[in-house]
Amino acid sequence: MNAWYHEASVMTRSWGVDHPLVLALGLLALLPLFANVFIRNGIPAIAAFPPDPLSRVLGGGLRLVSALAILALVAGLAGLHRRAQTVLREGTGAHLVLLLDRSSSMDNSFADRAPSGDEQSKSSAAKHLLGEFVAGRPHDRIGVAAFSTSPMPVLPLTDHHDVVQAAIAAIDRPGLAFTDVGRGLALALSSFADDTAEASRAVLLVSDGAALIDRRVQDALRDAVTRTPVHLYWLFLRSRGAKSIFDVPPPGEDTPQANPERHLHLFLQSFGVPYRAFEATSPQAVAQAIAEINRQETRPLTYSERIPRHDVARPAFAVAALCIFLILLAKLAERPLRRTGFAREATRPPQAAPVIARDGQRRAA
Amino acid sequence: MKVGDDSLSPQPIAYRLRWRPEGIIPGAHPGRGEGAEGEFRRHVDLLRHPDPRRIDLRVSLRDPHGQLHVRQFSPRRAVPVAALVDLSGSMRFGEAVAGRVAEFAALIALSAVRAGDSFALFGCDAHLRADAFLPFSRRRGLDDEVRRRLTGLRPQGAGSAGLIEAAGSLPGRRALVFLVSDFLMPEAEREALLDALWRHDVVPVVVSDATLEEGLPRWGFIEMGDLESGAARLVFMRPRLRARWRAAAAASRRALDEAFVRRGLRPFHLRDRLDTEALTRRLMEG
Repeated sequence: MNAWYHEASVMTRSWGVDHPLVLALGLLALLPLFANVFIRNGIPAIAAFPPDPLSRVLGGGLRLVSALAILALVAGLAGLHRRAQTVLREGTGAHLVLLLDRSSSMDNSFADRAPSGDEQSKSSAAKHLLGEFVAGRPHDRIGVAAFSTSPMPVLPLTDHHDVVQAAIAAIDRPGLAFTDVGRGLALALSSFADDTAEASRAVLLVSDGAALIDRRVQDALRDAVTRTPVHLYWLFLRSRGAKSIFDVPPPGEDTPQANPERHLHLFLQSFGVPYRAFEATSPQAVAQAIAEINRQETRPLTYSERIPRHDVARPAFAVAALCIFLILLAKLAERPLRRTGFAREATRPPQAAPVIARDGQRRAA
Repeated sequence: MKVGDDSLSPQPIAYRLRWRPEGIIPGAHPGRGEGAEGEFRRHVDLLRHPDPRRIDLRVSLRDPHGQLHVRQFSPRRAVPVAALVDLSGSMRFGEAVAGRVAEFAALIALSAVRAGDSFALFGCDAHLRADAFLPFSRRRGLDDEVRRRLTGLRPQGAGSAGLIEAAGSLPGRRALVFLVSDFLMPEAEREALLDALWRHDVVPVVVSDATLEEGLPRWGFIEMGDLESGAARLVFMRPRLRARWRAAAAASRRALDEAFVRRGLRPFHLRDRLDTEALTRRLMEG
């Protein structure tokens, strides 16, 4: 009883109907047990004929199909639907914020000039590769933020990957002026503020340059990273001629003003959280870097999936229509018993007339 | 239709018996015992049959021993004729009872009455049915009565125990009994019925319908319902199954004929329609 009740409560939690009273019509599904669509031909003794397994199977099948048609119709009329619900699922993935540089230099190719011919701009290379990256990680919750002169929140962390794809598709729009990495990072970190899940968190910074970070912003970032430990990835799209972030310049030139990228690298290293920087000088290098990130960020993840209300009425009606079509086919395949014997008998004139006449005569006599 | 025009009304048919009926009621059939008139049987000695009115002079003069010969005759006797009609649900098929069975029984009643025999109708399903019962009588118009009774009723019910019941209420002397049925009852029941009719001259009248063999479709669904038990069966008919069914029907017909032959009975087949000529031939054979 208890188990049954449990099953039933699970059923009603996930499935529902709009008009419960209509379900009473489901009793009509017993009707095919007693009647069918065929005209019954009475014959003297059915036992005289040998049984036929194929006919029996077809008859049972038709009965089943008829019952199913009625049930499906009732389910459709009652408005059967699966309730909207959220389901916790296990997968591998991460909570990821893509922090995208929207400065105008991203519109240039890796050779640092306006793309011509079959050259790709940095932003469009990033767009394609990030799009594939996101498509390959279906269980991630992904947020998107951009920065230029000031940070721009684009998407909070979300499961809806089509939105994410749309956001990524928009990054090769013509960019804006400058690069304010510090406040962008702060925005990206703040995306995790109300994320309490035990998932691996990562920020993927995609930029082609850096700028000096204000000391106050630096402090704020250190605080934020301490509060919400994240994995940091920096995909540095290095233009030809730009200095590498890994090269140690000669002493005296190693100042943040001269080498903002290298000093951002050092600053990110100083957080004490897992951090990797990838220097990409071509679309192929970007692809390799993204594959590497993809490999790194595969931890078990409990994610919740929100399933919207799903109406089953339409499929139910489709099933009913199919069943009725099958029954119709069977009905069209019905052939009557051809009356050969007494048809002639019946068309003969009745013999009662002379009988009555003679009776009348006798009575009159 | 003109009153008295009987061109459409059935003509009586004659029938012969292979046995000599007992009884005292004069009729048309050569009976048992010795009579003074009727069908000539033999010559006997005057001393054995002292009836000088019947002396056959020609035969007596031809006799070298000079004996006097007397003609002896079989008395003409009437015979009770009964029709036992199975009215179980299966006889509803093809309006058999209202059609050819009524026609047949009326024809037999007419023939019996015209021949001076008494006729009785016993309609039975599980019991003897009062609305299809006519006691032995030889009044005129009996055939109309028989036809009216049989056309007006609806065969229903299962089993044919009523036929055995009716067999018990037949007269104690040998009678001519037409047993009208489709004989689709179980074999044991059929044997019990024929056992109960041992005393009488039984003519099994097998009602059958060619529809069940000729009228089956080659392909397609057909729903069959048993007229007696009400059991229904959906059949997907196809040429092979059709052939099997027809073979089964033919086999059961053959088995029935063999069962009758074992008892020395010669059935009359009332298939699809009453064939009056065939009936006349069968009855004149005795």
